[in-house]
Amino acid sequence: MPRFFSNKRLILLLVGVIVLVALISFSLKDRRNASIPEQIVKDVVGFGQSLFSKPAHYITGTIEKIDGILNTYEENKQLKARLQEYASNQVELADVKAENKRLRELIGKTEDLRAFDPIQATVISRNPDQWEEKVIVDRGSTSGVELDMAVITAKGLVGKVVNVTKTNSTIELLSTENRNFRVAAVIPGETSVFGLIEGYDPDRRELIMKRIDSSFDVKVGMKVESSGLGGIFPKGLYIGEVTEVSTDDYGLTKLAYIRPAADFSMLDHVVIAKRKMEVYKNGTDTESPTEDQGEDES
Amino acid sequence: MSRFIIPLLAVCLFFLEPVFSLFSPIDIGGMEYILVPRFVIVYLIFLAVYYNQKRAILLGLILGLLYDMYHIDIIGVYTFLYPLVCYLGALLIRQVHRHIVTVMFLSVILIVLLELLSYFFASLIALTSIHLDEFIVRRLVPTMIANAIFIGMFGWLFKKVMTGRGMQNQAGS
Repeated sequence: MPRFFSNKRLILLLVGVIVLVALISFSLKDRRNASIPEQIVKDVVGFGQSLFSKPAHYITGTIEKIDGILNTYEENKQLKARLQEYASNQVELADVKAENKRLRELIGKTEDLRAFDPIQATVISRNPDQWEEKVIVDRGSTSGVELDMAVITAKGLVGKVVNVTKTNSTIELLSTENRNFRVAAVIPGETSVFGLIEGYDPDRRELIMKRIDSSFDVKVGMKVESSGLGGIFPKGLYIGEVTEVSTDDYGLTKLAYIRPAADFSMLDHVVIAKRKMEVYKNGTDTESPTEDQGEDES
Repeated sequence: MSRFIIPLLAVCLFFLEPVFSLFSPIDIGGMEYILVPRFVIVYLIFLAVYYNQKRAILLGLILGLLYDMYHIDIIGVYTFLYPLVCYLGALLIRQVHRHIVTVMFLSVILIVLLELLSYFFASLIALTSIHLDEFIVRRLVPTMIANAIFIGMFGWLFKKVMTGRGMQNQAGS
């Protein structure tokens, strides 16, 4: 049996462990803001990464296209059936929009929580050790991306920006286990039901909407969207559908399980929503360490 | 050109890992299975076994640091784990016959070790809350199978590249 470590190696190992523990605790403290060397590394690696990811997206895109062609006939039949419905919806929508605009002018309110500038981005990588649900996209602060902005796909909300460098940004997906990840949500209806999306149930693969006032009547099948009251997200981003309603641990407020509309597993193109109205940085959308400490103390 | 082939291949695999993880998690029969591509560490183990242990540890340190900075935002996790696994790989191979099948088998075992260590780290800093049995079924076993396929496909190639380089070095010196 040879000796595992010689004396010199043992000292080297111990020093290494100490340095690494120090580095880990240092970088755990503030993970949302990358330091300048980190930003440079992220930008350089991100550039190399996009050289590999873009051809990969092209290949998967081509395969999807071939798949689409094979299903054309079936799809065409279904789409034709829905076309009628679509036309009447279109007319109604145009009418409602025009009326909405007229009414807005009437009361002199031009700003809209719903309005946002879309920033198109391509996903270049997913965190390979998948302990955290994070993806990196190829747009950064030079394109106008800022921390905590909402990220959507055509189907609905997928996550928010948690780290920004010059040319990349990291997005944490809704399916995260991070408890500080909150989205101010609303179930629109005759009386809007407000709540917070807090947490994800990995077994059910559903989001949990908490802090719903128990006087509200929430039914299975209702649609959930972002309320825009968190400070940074625009209003009206579709999140999902209610599948179950129950009460929370203390029986004071209601809790709803929501099946997310977006698919988190095969992301390629996403849109970062930069809202046009003024941004308020201390709302529920922001995830600041000081805020968490305040909650722990109370 | 041939001088740079070893680091170049490592960097290529480093960039390919996140591309493959875009396909994960996969859904089979209503269960989500997580596949973690561990191409870089397989390559580094082969490097430690067939080429040069010090080179492997150095490359592991650099790539681990890049991995931490780019993907995880916690510096020090893979910076420590990659060189450790390379060291253990080189240590263990001295005890057994250096046949390609044993090296492949060793790589799979070391991937399991790496996964376990990263699981303990993730639960330590509360990145995850899944239990050990769930972790084994949903993550460890699928990861092991997927990486075993990768090793089976590319192990020969890695060995060929490294022994080729080793031969050139000997001829040069």
